[in-house]
Amino acid sequence: MTLPFTHVDWAAVAPLEVLAATGLLVLLFDLVWRPFAPRGLSLSVAFLGTILTAALIAQQYGTNVAAFNGGYIVGNFSVLFGEVVLLGTLGALALMGRGGSDRESAGTIALLLWSACGALLLAAAATTMTIFLGIELLSLALYCLCGLANRKSAREAALKYLLLSSTASAVLLFGMALLFGASGSVSLAALASPAMVTNPLFWMGSGFFLVGIAFKLSLVPFHAWAPDVYQGAPLPIAAFMTVVTKAATIAIFARFAYAALPAGASQMLLLPVWAIAGISMIVGNVGMLAQHDLKRLLGYSGIAQVGYILAALAGTTRLGLRYAFFYLVVYAVMNLGAFAVAAVLSSGDDEEGTQIQSYRGLGARRPLLAAAMTFFLLALAGLPPTAGFLGKILILAVAAGTGYLWLAALLLVGTAISLYAYAKIILAMYRPDHRVHAADIPRGAPLPWVSLALCLVATVALTFYPLLPSGLLPLVK
Amino acid sequence: MATSFAGVPIFDYEALASVLFFIGLAGAIARRNPLVMLMSIELMFNAANLAFIVFARAWLNNAGQIFAFLVITVAAAEAAIALAIVVVVFRSAPQVNVDDVRVLHG
Repeated sequence: MTLPFTHVDWAAVAPLEVLAATGLLVLLFDLVWRPFAPRGLSLSVAFLGTILTAALIAQQYGTNVAAFNGGYIVGNFSVLFGEVVLLGTLGALALMGRGGSDRESAGTIALLLWSACGALLLAAAATTMTIFLGIELLSLALYCLCGLANRKSAREAALKYLLLSSTASAVLLFGMALLFGASGSVSLAALASPAMVTNPLFWMGSGFFLVGIAFKLSLVPFHAWAPDVYQGAPLPIAAFMTVVTKAATIAIFARFAYAALPAGASQMLLLPVWAIAGISMIVGNVGMLAQHDLKRLLGYSGIAQVGYILAALAGTTRLGLRYAFFYLVVYAVMNLGAFAVAAVLSSGDDEEGTQIQSYRGLGARRPLLAAAMTFFLLALAGLPPTAGFLGKILILAVAAGTGYLWLAALLLVGTAISLYAYAKIILAMYRPDHRVHAADIPRGAPLPWVSLALCLVATVALTFYPLLPSGLLPLVK
Repeated sequence: MATSFAGVPIFDYEALASVLFFIGLAGAIARRNPLVMLMSIELMFNAANLAFIVFARAWLNNAGQIFAFLVITVAAAEAAIALAIVVVVFRSAPQVNVDDVRVLHG
């Protein structure tokens, strides 16, 4: 009997194996050494494992391996998106080091790592089968993670996310079944054949597939779950979802849009996606205006930011993909920074101290944190001294260059609206506050501070050293 | 690609899968009992399974059957998690209705 897979296949997925094993190790250490271990042992193991995984993935840069019969394709594309996923994972782990009453257990950390495994799988998936496996691995762990805080809003977020996201998974799956019927193969590469253009199964399947993806990206008609879930989920999990889920889903979308569509169908099939991306920019930014909770506000902000990233992909040019990737990295960094500030300020109570009214007068009480928050919000709005500005200029350039002027115009309108929403928080922080505050004792929470500082440096540094990898090509075989 | 098997045209199998899928989708959207919503979602998964198996037979490609096994496994895991979450959310409620779950809105 010959084995169907060789060591080449297993070497390609070695980073995933390491990350999954780290999750098991975290559980094992917690089980064996809990009575004696110092606080934060689980967290240290998780950090080491994630960094090791990132190093292993970095070593795959420049290689090109189609493992598991083309189901898992290692290349620069998978490496770069994988690193963004791990960046988001590290950011979320850092937020778990915040103080407060409900500290995350080893089980939470293990689930987070396995969820990240699903996201890594998505970055390299090139058959519908691996895509489904990755999405479910990512989502199933996240359903649990959302509900793992002992308050009503977290449990409710878990239920909402579960019901809506499972429905979207089912739509996505039915699309995959129709695509399989159209091409007779689970490989995305088989869809690129010109014969597909006249096949009704292909059109229906792609439609269902894109609806599922749009839901996971929280694009506009399917966006209502995102703010609710982010508000209810614990802070580190909300940060993880905004960065990792988006990065992994954009990787899938980019691979599908760039490599899996026949030339004649691409324009017509993707036009609705660009349209809802444009609407997302407006709806997300308008939605921010009425919010009273920071996590919820960042959820709406994320809806708009995904719209910006997709605007760079419109026209499916290679330059657009590079700019979209750059903006994704910038978004990850500035978003994790804003969450890190929220984590430093977080209290152990029901809403984790993320209501915007608890930020009133912050400029006088904690000037450093208020300045950092101002910086990250201005970066999210896209103002000049930050990388957010450069990212938006590049997206505008590529959208205008490929003839999607209306997307560029919507981006500008959305940015103008968002400025008002972000300015409202910034003004609230610097307005004198005459209420009496309970003694605001800084708790010993070094990890969010480290994350905050690194995000701050990265947001500035990316302006001067923009990360625009040239070898970013989504392959399917 | 075979056009029929067991005397039934492939189109009929496909129509059945589509009807099951849309019944499931309608249930997931319209019903307010989370348990019925979960059953509807299972129905959608199984409609996709049926389509996969039919196409696997039509194209003589085992990948579709393997995919169906994968989906069955994933659906089982999903059901386990879903029921746990439903129990946690509605432990203290007299009846299960998603309209009662509305701390988060805006």
